[in-house]
Amino acid sequence: MPFDPTDITLSIVKIAIVLGALLNVTPIMVWVERRGSALIQDRPGPNRVGPFGLLQSFADALKFILKEDIVPQTANKFLYTIAPAIGLLPALTTIAVVPWGREFVLHDIHFFGRTFFTTARLFNPIVADLNVGLLVVFALASLSVYGIVVAGWSSNNKYSLFGGIRASAQMISYELALTLAAVSALLAAGSLRLTDVVWRQTGYFVLFDTIKIPAWNCFSPAMWLSMIIFFVSGFAETNRLPFDFAEAEAELVAGYHTEYSSMKFALFFMGEYMAMTTMSALVTTLFLGGWDIPWYNEPATFVGFLLSALAFVVKVSALLFVFVWVRWTIPRLKYDILMRLGWKVFLPLAVLNIVFVAFFILKGWI
Amino acid sequence: MFEYAVFFFFAAVAVIFALVVVLHRNPVVGALSLVVSFFALAVMYVLLDAPFLAALQVIVYAGAIMVLFLFVIMLLNLQHMSEPATRPIQQFLGYTTSAAFGIGLVYYLLKYAVFTALPSGPFHTEASAIGVALFESYVFPFEMVSILLLAAIVGALLLSARSVAPREVAP
Repeated sequence: MPFDPTDITLSIVKIAIVLGALLNVTPIMVWVERRGSALIQDRPGPNRVGPFGLLQSFADALKFILKEDIVPQTANKFLYTIAPAIGLLPALTTIAVVPWGREFVLHDIHFFGRTFFTTARLFNPIVADLNVGLLVVFALASLSVYGIVVAGWSSNNKYSLFGGIRASAQMISYELALTLAAVSALLAAGSLRLTDVVWRQTGYFVLFDTIKIPAWNCFSPAMWLSMIIFFVSGFAETNRLPFDFAEAEAELVAGYHTEYSSMKFALFFMGEYMAMTTMSALVTTLFLGGWDIPWYNEPATFVGFLLSALAFVVKVSALLFVFVWVRWTIPRLKYDILMRLGWKVFLPLAVLNIVFVAFFILKGWI
Repeated sequence: MFEYAVFFFFAAVAVIFALVVVLHRNPVVGALSLVVSFFALAVMYVLLDAPFLAALQVIVYAGAIMVLFLFVIMLLNLQHMSEPATRPIQQFLGYTTSAAFGIGLVYYLLKYAVFTALPSGPFHTEASAIGVALFESYVFPFEMVSILLLAAIVGALLLSARSVAPREVAP
């Protein structure tokens, strides 16, 4: 494997951009969540720290850092300490295989008195363009349950344990529906590579020879069911209301993180918002055309890249707002209804939907 | 060079955590160590240019199967349960038999196994090639496996099915 310093620098730049964006999502989303919930519940919300309460997240973070870090005496110390990190890891790494902009040609960049890229080079805005991209997403998603389970078990608290057990049962159930729902988008693209999935959606569906609709998967009738199943299962996979049985404040105190305090608790919090962001990015990539701007051909230049990256961010932000919106609108389900929905409704529907989509593709309707 | 470093690091991780699975008393720690070991094995597949297999290894073993294991262990709540005392003769027989088996295995491997280098690539490890092979050359074993799994599901249902009779209502 030959080492090319330019390649490595570019990779590091990409990783820095993605990680920076992902880490900054948490404070912004905390603010959006608190103000959004206030908007929905018709109250002012936090509005004292900074303009519109924008600095509230920093005040929260400061408070988290200053709080005492408590480890219960009967807890399994080692597992209790690494559980938040285990939970954060999949949320941080999954985004690596998601493309977040149109690739563009780099040439003749002057920087610090030196000229870089005298030979033109393609900049592909994705950290790891793997040919099994989506499988890696599901592999890491299947590991995300361990953070919650280990936290619940190692706390040595019955409420935490219940939270952990519920989370493991729930995430196993919904992972199947999630994976099967994503298969339809893969069938349409004919590839597991997520850049291919986006490129397939950049064209147009032409109706009656006049109306041009972007070829996003969400505009194709065959994909509607899989998109709904994927998005709802995504809620269950990220443990958000109406599926937050791992936490379930009304029944389990605070579920798996009952015993956690200070920055360890904050890590769980960050993990939740990062998982939400990753899930939104996946829905965007699989069904909403990724970085594609409708009715516009992005040029393969820096401007085209910036515009497409902006489109991607806008789509992800809209979905993140839907996450907040749903949380404060729909109450928690009953646990047996959750399991029934996963196994008896979503799973058979997702399997049938694959046949349906395959038929569409065979007929050339997608 | 870099690949060797990665290989030896993850090989060591796989072996050490596999030993932890066998030697540690706590079943939850054992299960989690097995997850780490599986993950290290997935890295081996990546080094062998088989990312598809690596992803499946993590999804199926580290993700699905070990979560079920952990789920059952946590439901049984074996945390404070000590193992029942074993007789010395049992321990002796256990150690000697496994040692004999291990030595025999290594001996016969070294004597009869033929070590050859991997054929130089390119390997067809992308999902489409595996899918085509599965449904053309290996369609019969593939269908047999599905029937085997179906039999297992039916068996599990039969064993765990509740009786149809109505439950007794407590007075």
